[in-house]
Amino acid sequence: MNDKIIYLDYAATTPVDPRVAEKMAGCLTCEGMFANPASAHAPGRAARGMVERARAQVAKLVNAEPVEIIFTSGATESDNLAIKGVAHFYRDKGRHIITSRIEHKAVLDTCKQLEHEGFEITRLKPDQDGLIRPEMVRQSLRPDSVLVSIMHVNNEIGTVNDIAAIGSITREHGVFFHVDAAQSAGKIPIDLKALDVDLMSFSGHKVYGPKGIGALYVCRTPRVHLDPLIHGGGHESGLRSGTLATHQIVGMGEAYHLACEHLTEEMPRISALRVQLWQALHAAIPQALLNGHPTQRVCGILSVSFPGIEGESLLFSCQGLAVSSGSACTSADREPSFVLRALGRDDQLAGASIRFSLGRFTTAGEVDAAVRIVSEEYRRLRELAPAL
Amino acid sequence: MTDEAADYSARVWDHFRAPRNAGVFPAGTAGVFTGRAGSAHHGRAVEWTLRLDGSGRVAECRYRVYGCPATIALCSLTSEAVWDMSRGEAAAYSVVGLAEELGLPAEKRAAALVVEDALRAALTGYNGG
Repeated sequence: MNDKIIYLDYAATTPVDPRVAEKMAGCLTCEGMFANPASAHAPGRAARGMVERARAQVAKLVNAEPVEIIFTSGATESDNLAIKGVAHFYRDKGRHIITSRIEHKAVLDTCKQLEHEGFEITRLKPDQDGLIRPEMVRQSLRPDSVLVSIMHVNNEIGTVNDIAAIGSITREHGVFFHVDAAQSAGKIPIDLKALDVDLMSFSGHKVYGPKGIGALYVCRTPRVHLDPLIHGGGHESGLRSGTLATHQIVGMGEAYHLACEHLTEEMPRISALRVQLWQALHAAIPQALLNGHPTQRVCGILSVSFPGIEGESLLFSCQGLAVSSGSACTSADREPSFVLRALGRDDQLAGASIRFSLGRFTTAGEVDAAVRIVSEEYRRLRELAPAL
Repeated sequence: MTDEAADYSARVWDHFRAPRNAGVFPAGTAGVFTGRAGSAHHGRAVEWTLRLDGSGRVAECRYRVYGCPATIALCSLTSEAVWDMSRGEAAAYSVVGLAEELGLPAEKRAAALVVEDALRAALTGYNGG
């Protein structure tokens, strides 16, 4: 990591924790657990043991059974597997799916694909705080509804949906409930035994694990059936074929194990830094607007809109900062954030927004420096602009 | 920001980071003509103020700009280019040509049109010395 850059983009990805990297390295070379976990010989069985240990570590963080965890290539694949898997398996039961307008593209584009296949999609509009209220879900349910897919924490604004209440409604109506938890696992306590959630997507690299690995929770009781996306070998209970990437899986397992150990200590620390960031920013730039619910939010994400300046210039001006102007996956097209537009922000405000996301290695000094950089550049651009 | 900054040439980047001749003239400055184009709603707005001397030459120019880095850099570079031009030369100056010379991506060419429109709007205010 370049020492000169302040990294506040933990919601896009996190650095691999050195303890995770060490475990991963032990699965790559001759001396380590490099064997194919599907092989029956001793090295293969040893690798298999490491994979199962990692599965248990992932399950423990969210209080699930290890058998309910399916490893995938990442949260995007998990979302695809959950949504297409249910839609295709239960196509005779119904063809109506409910989601929201501010899901990650992995969910939105998957639903769009199903729409092409003849499914009907209801996309709920969030309230002005960026929340999907449980009653919105209840009111949109139909006799042919088969799946509801609502994210736990929004990746751009950090708001936390009440998945317990939404799950109660979907369970009551016999509709499957999928939750994208890419931004909440390891940041918020999750107890799947207490939640009426049928499917939940996880990412490795948002929790100080490696990229290229994720998982899907598939509830066993009540049982959820899925049509697999990938065929060829019947790995992962037939739901995700392909040789298991031991080093990736072990990395994710260790990352989730560390998250489990540090969660209660990290949450208040990061939350306090986020509060410090917002208070100092708002003091320096009173016109700045907080996006999303003021309190019902994850500890590390802060989204702020800046009136009267252009978004790309703001982002490019803040050279010493690694932050995001929206979802990292969509920032390349430089369109105003569809999430902020859905919240009612106009194009200027949606474009001139910064998502700061704080994490395990963020310090108070970095927060202070970020405020200084953003407020100086904001003033510079405002002075440059004509009356608007 | 390093990767995104690579979208722009070093020259564009330099003028975005340190725009030349930005600002306005002190109130009451004589011989000043103002022109404006674009809007915040459309993502860029430019306001030129030109001070023309008795012979109609651009004796000084200033601008204010709201927009992307390309828009800001184009204002800065245009202010250097039109300084000391005759009114006719300045009116014929092609900011679009400048954008092409700078290798700006096609989607940024609209910025050049806004800078150019505002410049010409300022020059139309001058009806001879």
